[in-house]
Amino acid sequence: MKLKTVKDKFFARLFTRYPWLMRRWARKTEFMESADSPWTPLLKDLKDCRVALVTTGGVHLKTQPPFNMSDSEGDPTFREIPSDVDKEDLTITHDYYDHRDGDADINVILPLDRLAELAEEGFIGSISASAFSFMGHIIGEHVTTLINETSPDVALKLKADGVDVVLLTPT
Amino acid sequence: MGLIQRVIEESGIPTISITLSQEIAEKVKPPRAVLPGFPLGHPMGMPFDADGQRTLMKKLLEYVGVIREPGTLVNLSTEAGTDTINTEVTE
Repeated sequence: MKLKTVKDKFFARLFTRYPWLMRRWARKTEFMESADSPWTPLLKDLKDCRVALVTTGGVHLKTQPPFNMSDSEGDPTFREIPSDVDKEDLTITHDYYDHRDGDADINVILPLDRLAELAEEGFIGSISASAFSFMGHIIGEHVTTLINETSPDVALKLKADGVDVVLLTPT
Repeated sequence: MGLIQRVIEESGIPTISITLSQEIAEKVKPPRAVLPGFPLGHPMGMPFDADGQRTLMKKLLEYVGVIREPGTLVNLSTEAGTDTINTEVTE
């Protein structure tokens, strides 16, 4: 195992175990700050809505290329995952958080089973054809790629699928 | 996560996110966010807690229609039954 991987996993476990460390890191770290938020109102009843999941948990199909963990600025690409995927076909590539619980039950990070249950009981109308997964921890020039290229690509795919609501789960 | 969420919302789809850090949410200002109070790596809670995950998902979906103020952070990490809207984020 590479030294970087060992170090990243060590800090990931530390942050999970001691939330105050995470809060301290977040206070001291620079993020792309905004004065206000974009806004699209929900104009439909939930029971008529098509719902999609997007995560930054580094989830992907075992057959897809893993996220690049060797670039210290992260990986701004995404993986498209069929919403009816067999959970056995999924894996997580991400050294910046402790995903042992997510490995055991992927619904902790990408709750596709829960979404299917809500569609079945009629709480929502339907599930999008695909879920989308990024990895978090993107900094430097990759932020520009994320904002100007890969996130708009995902937004276009969601719109083309007729998605009404998106739930996002970071890690 | 907040940056991706902002792009999707701007494209015309309502969004809501879990946030694991109030500090980050206050800086990035996603349109709608919920703080469940779970540790890093556990946005939907504990493994195999299907009931807990389902309850949280229903709350998230309901908040998409309930929240009226862009940039609202709902804090679920306080005691059960006392969900509070953190208005500081919108000021």
